[in-house]
Amino acid sequence: MNTNNLKEYLALLTPYTELRVQANSTMSMAFLNGNMISNSQNRNHGVSARVYKNGSWGFASNSVVDDAGIRAALSEAENNARFLDSRLDMRKAIFNPTVGKMEKDFRSTKRSLSQGEIKEFIKLLDNYIASKYPNVMQRYVGIQFLSMEKNLVTSDGVEFYSFIPRTAIPVQLTVVKDGVPVNLHEVFGGLGEAQDFLDNPENFYPKIDKLYQELVNKSEGVMPKAGLCEVILASDIAGILAHEAIGHTTEADLVLGGSIAAEYMNKEVASPLVTLVDFAHTYNGKTLTMPIYMDDEGVVAEDVVIIENGILRNYMHNKESARIFGTEPKGNARAWQFNDEPLIRMRNTAILPGNDKLEDMIASIEDGYFLTKTGNGQADTTSEFTFSVNMGYEIKNGKLGRAIKDSTISGIAFDVLKSVTMVSDEMTWSGAGGMCGKKQPIPVGMGGPSIKCKVNIGGE
Amino acid sequence: MANKEILKHTLARLENIVDKCQCSTSVNRKYELNLENGQISLLRTTIDHQYSVTVIKDQKQGSITINKTDEQSVNEAIDKVVEICANSEVDEAYDIAPFQEPKVFVSGDREPNLNKMFDLLQDYVEQVKVNFPTIKLMDTAISFTISTKHLMNSNGVDFTETEGYYDFSSMFAAKEGDKSSSFNYTGYYVKKLEKALLSYGTLKRVLTETTGQIHTKGIPDKFKGDVIITPDCMSMLVFFVVNVYLSNMPLISKTSPLLNKLDEQVASPLFTLHAAPRDERIVKGYQVTNDGFEAQNMTIFDKGVLKNYVLNQYGANKTGLPRSANVGGCYIVDSGATPLEEMIRSCKRGVLVHRISGGNPNNNGDLSVVLKNSYYIEDGEIKYPLNETMITLNLKDALANITEVSKEQVNFGHEIYPYIKVKDVLISGK
Repeated sequence: MNTNNLKEYLALLTPYTELRVQANSTMSMAFLNGNMISNSQNRNHGVSARVYKNGSWGFASNSVVDDAGIRAALSEAENNARFLDSRLDMRKAIFNPTVGKMEKDFRSTKRSLSQGEIKEFIKLLDNYIASKYPNVMQRYVGIQFLSMEKNLVTSDGVEFYSFIPRTAIPVQLTVVKDGVPVNLHEVFGGLGEAQDFLDNPENFYPKIDKLYQELVNKSEGVMPKAGLCEVILASDIAGILAHEAIGHTTEADLVLGGSIAAEYMNKEVASPLVTLVDFAHTYNGKTLTMPIYMDDEGVVAEDVVIIENGILRNYMHNKESARIFGTEPKGNARAWQFNDEPLIRMRNTAILPGNDKLEDMIASIEDGYFLTKTGNGQADTTSEFTFSVNMGYEIKNGKLGRAIKDSTISGIAFDVLKSVTMVSDEMTWSGAGGMCGKKQPIPVGMGGPSIKCKVNIGGE
Repeated sequence: MANKEILKHTLARLENIVDKCQCSTSVNRKYELNLENGQISLLRTTIDHQYSVTVIKDQKQGSITINKTDEQSVNEAIDKVVEICANSEVDEAYDIAPFQEPKVFVSGDREPNLNKMFDLLQDYVEQVKVNFPTIKLMDTAISFTISTKHLMNSNGVDFTETEGYYDFSSMFAAKEGDKSSSFNYTGYYVKKLEKALLSYGTLKRVLTETTGQIHTKGIPDKFKGDVIITPDCMSMLVFFVVNVYLSNMPLISKTSPLLNKLDEQVASPLFTLHAAPRDERIVKGYQVTNDGFEAQNMTIFDKGVLKNYVLNQYGANKTGLPRSANVGGCYIVDSGATPLEEMIRSCKRGVLVHRISGGNPNNNGDLSVVLKNSYYIEDGEIKYPLNETMITLNLKDALANITEVSKEQVNFGHEIYPYIKVKDVLISGK
């Protein structure tokens, strides 16, 4: 529950000021080949204030969250804004006010698990792998828990409290084939605390079995044939394409900084089959991995339709960029820790599902690949992207063939989206989401259907 | 309580409860000026405290970190870490550093010159506008950090380290009409702000190159050629080499192809790599490792011979290999004898690689990455900036295939690198 009553400081919030108390708590435990290699907890708690004066921002933070600490942060932020204003003298107007009061608490209703109970559960998973698959030379099983608890008030009158927990259970397996180590990993979990996921180890066993089988397939796999080819990107990769290669180019700060998307507003940038949305918190009535109801500038969060039926329709904004573009912000200004300023960030980004059946999509390809898992990816302000492909299969004459070894795909994302000819009718969100890196890291959600398109694949 | 008193309190409170204990506190104060939309827009000052404690009892270990140093929070953390430890697993490799003579290390300024930071950043914005008119500045910041860390343990270790440094980084792209370059970035650490920001590191060169990278071309075919890696790009490749081959994880799990290769020639004789956190040229180094040892400089590859892994105390105990003199970072690659110009001139066909984008290498060190802000070289000349070009290599093979190391070396303040040429790398166009 809300434990910091910041309302008593409202009278001190002048001119435009955001006052935020935040605690990020993490717990990390990991076993490598049965050896516990990490077992630690961390809590980062503090207060920050951000003050806007005539176009200059002053920000200050303090890890002491008592009356003196809060007042010190407010006073220093104001001094910082005053210092910049004295040097810059920009004389910009204040923002249109945003208002709202709400609490969003995703704390688990189940009994908390002790450190010991969590450890025993993770060991059960590790033991399962060790006993069933003795040829696995490296087993990594862990749990990473993160909760972000925020209290925000602003001089506009915003009052917001949120508690968002996220649990990730990474499993990585390595086998050796012909003297070369081959690995594959999966991250289970999602929105919630450890007790929301660690209820029954048997729920994990079929998933681990599937991971192992895919690893064996991959270890016996072939290198893909390098070059431009027809592929089906499963939701895992379609999601990262939406986030990394399109999403970032349409963040307004990057648009102002030279992103190629600056030239594309209201133009056709993708196949008409493609609609791409940055969801605030809910899809089809279901709460998403990283539900943002209000951002750290006190803006009530709404979905941003970035591409609608192939046409670029919106960028993502904070208050400042929205004013430059003559539009309204929709809750994309997010800060990672209490001592970070809000930046323009995505929330839960995905291409919307279409009408095609996955089996029909596979059947439609003579010679190509079905790419299912990625390790990570990077993209450019030109929308050129590179993603690792950790799992995939050949498609030959409309049928799935041999697995492929680790590879990389690349291309210009807007060109790739123009090449989309089929979009599957199912929607999968990546369970535990991911961490997005900009100036600060931030947890995000990603997902999508499978899409049929053309990309460059690395290989022989 | 003062920070050192907290540590004495922690050790006293845990003395009869656990077998071994290490604790530390740190205070970080940061002053940062940021740009938004190409203009200075934010002054951010933060003060951050950290308190960490690790305990070992019956060869079980627990650790906790909080960002409070008041007595109640510290006492709660002490109780919690004992609980975490009790719920840990026995591992004979857990240990803390042995007694070493107490020392105090101090480097750098204690207070920032905020007006000078502002003036230099404003000057940078103006210089870029005038000299690089197509450049759009993105995430750009100058900061000053002053941090003090105390570390003590139950074996009598007692270190204090204070360091002050300036940090500048800038990200940008060039834009002309509806065409843009790839984004590019560079940065550095300095002890004092003595010159214009453009005069440090590779900043001026990278801005100049980015300006010319709006119109790019692909390579029409696939070939094996030379790759010249710039100092900016070296950082990531050295990190990959250490992470995949030489650090705790691959050595404990025995997946490293360089396991049992100490004192063997595994890289080109032209390649010498040090991890040197106490080298006088390194601004952002460290004097004390996180596991409580006074750090010393070490050579990892000496003329291609593998001399040291990068193992902390736990990794060393776990593998039976020697503990490293430091925990990595602050890498310095020795310069060579060949001027960059000559390295390019002697290249029949290849690429000059400034930045790579893509996945991490697998356990074997196999890596496929797309080239960014990079150039095609043919018949000894830089021909054009590239797009959609990929290189595929194995890190171990690449180390062995180094054919030239440049005379020129760039000091980024936390790492120092020359240009390096590697032969026989698969380069593929679209």
